[in-house]
Formats: sequence, C-alpha cells, structure tokens
Amino acid sequence: MMHLEILTPDKSLFSGEVSAVTLPGAAGEFQVLSNHAALVASLQSGIVRIKQSNGHDQSVSIEGGVVEVLNNSIVVLA
Amino acid sequence: MANLKEVRIRIGSVTSTQQITKAMKLVSATKLRRAQNGITQMRPYAQKLNGILANLSDSIDVDSLKLYFEPKEVKNVLLVVITSDRGLCGSFNANVVKRANLLVKEKYAGKQITVLPIGKKGADFFAKQPVQLLPQYKEALQGLDSTKAFAIGQYILDEFAKGQFDVVELVYNQFKNAATQVLTNEQFLPIDANAMKAVTGKKNDYLFEPSKVEILEALIPRILKTQVFRSMLDSLASEHGARMVAMDKATDNAGELLKSLKVEYNRVRQAAITTEISEIVGGAAALSQA
Repeated sequence: MMHLEILTPDKSLFSGEVSAVTLPGAAGEFQVLSNHAALVASLQSGIVRIKQSNGHDQSVSIEGGVVEVLNNSIVVLA
Repeated sequence: MANLKEVRIRIGSVTSTQQITKAMKLVSATKLRRAQNGITQMRPYAQKLNGILANLSDSIDVDSLKLYFEPKEVKNVLLVVITSDRGLCGSFNANVVKRANLLVKEKYAGKQITVLPIGKKGADFFAKQPVQLLPQYKEALQGLDSTKAFAIGQYILDEFAKGQFDVVELVYNQFKNAATQVLTNEQFLPIDANAMKAVTGKKNDYLFEPSKVEILEALIPRILKTQVFRSMLDSLASEHGARMVAMDKATDNAGELLKSLKVEYNRVRQAAITTEISEIVGGAAALSQA
C-alpha cells in the first residue's frame, strides 16, 4: 500500500492510496511497487498508470517532471 | 453660496461614485481570494521541488549546468517587470515602474537594457522609454496558469542560453497579506550557486535515475520556471490586495465628502427657508401698515 500524489503548479491531479504505479521515466518506463527503495527519477512526457488500492485503474498524462519515492509515499511533480 | 440644485446634483454624483468604488472593492476581495488560492495550490509543488534539490545540491558544479550559474560580464540586461493590466490600485504600478526605472538608470546605467513587461501598465510605461521592449507577453496575466508562466520562463531560459542576455532580473510585488505588498527585485539568472547549495532539507539516501546530473538538468529549469509562475501569482494577488485597499479608502473618502455635502445642503435649504419667511413677514408688515 502506497500513497501517491501527482502535483502540478496549478493543482493536484491525483491523491490517494495505490498498489502500483507505472511511470514514464526518462530512461524508459518503470513500475513502482510497495516498499520500493528511496528514489528520485526524472520523467518524460507520457502517461502515469495507476493501480488504485480499491481495484480501479486510472491514468493521468503528464508533461515530464520528477518523481520522488520515499517510505511508500510517491510524489510526482508534473 | 451654491444653490440647492447644485448641491443635490453633487450629492447624487458622489453617491454613485461611492457605489462604484464599493462594488470594485467587493470584486477585488473575491479575486484576491482566488489569487491566494493559486498561491496555496502552488506551494506544496515548490516545496517538494526544493526538497529534492536539497538532496542534489552537492552535484551542481558540473559543466553542463555551468550555463545557469556562471556570472558573465554584464553587457545585456533583461528586466522582467510584472505590473497589472488595469489601474485604480493605488501606487501599485507606479512603485514597480519606479523601481525598474531606477535599475535602468543606476544599477545598469550604460548597459544595453531590454524590458519584458508582464502586465499592460508596465508595457505602456516602457513603450515611452529609451529601452528595448519585448511586448509579446504583456497580456499573460489574463487567465494566468502555469502553462502560460512556464512558456515565459522557457522563453527567458532560451534567450539566456543563446547568450542574448548576461543577467536577468525580476521586478514585482511580493504578496505578504491583503494590505501589504513587498516590492522586490531579484536576480533570476545567473543563479547564485551558493544560494542553491544553501537550500537545506532532509537528506535521504536516494537512488537517482538516470543520474544526479541528468535529474538536475531537468530540475533546474523547472525550478526557474516555477519561480516565474510564483512571481506572477504573487503580483496578481498583490494587485487585488492593493486595489481592495485603494477602493476601501475611496469609499471612505466618498462617505466623508457626502457627510459635508449633506451639511452644506441643509445649510442652503435653511437659508432659503429663512429668506422666504422674512419675505412673507416683510410682505405682511407692509400690508398691515397700509
């Protein structure tokens, strides 16, 4: 179980509990699962695919950015 | 002494002015709230960016980032002057323009100066000054969002990278609270490397993907563009705050004026009645003598 937040300067695009997130990393797409090691990665523009804890899937498109993963909390700065 | 009708007309005109200023005050209060919301929405984003930067700041000395940090000999200056689109906000615009003009005349005297105005008032002022003007973003405050601000930021970064400018400075009002704005001019580029190294935050043992330097290459332009956005939001909130205060004062002044006009009106009315009575009495006395 992880907490995901997708922030833009204008508003928060997503905030909630998730079980898996697939991110468009600068060096290729990658997935973050529970208990991932602390990570900072740059992102290119693409789609963030979210597997929510309640079973619903969602996707959010971003224009590049940076992601920080720390203690099961993921923050995407789009 | 003014006659009754003149005073009545003035009372009518002051009353309608007061209604306008009161309405403008209310409108500004609403717009101020919206602008403040924008600032609040942006804050967690900026904080997180800085938090990540704090973990990377030990690697900013690499060559590929030198562009952003290395001070150059100052020949070409870009001033980004953020004002409002409309007036009636007290000395808000005058202050910004005065500060910018001071930079032109003193700090950067003799240099080739280009002004990039954001907000029509600044654009109007600098159109009459002997500086180069880049007016393409003067209306960017209408429907301001991060996309617009980032486009301006990108433009400045591109021009700076091309070597068009050696130093870029922002002049704008920082928002403190509804009644207070802090007039600020800060150097935007090149960045003071020590200030960026001084950004502190919790250091975590991160994995960096693809590498620290590549993340920094993406992060620093983003931080700079966020700074442009923040200045614009601050200026917008300050503008509405300043207008609210100015309109509040105008409403009060109109109230004062109305009060003295009403005294005047009553005095004139009284005088007219007195004259009338003495005329009647005089007439009656003349009749009874006859």
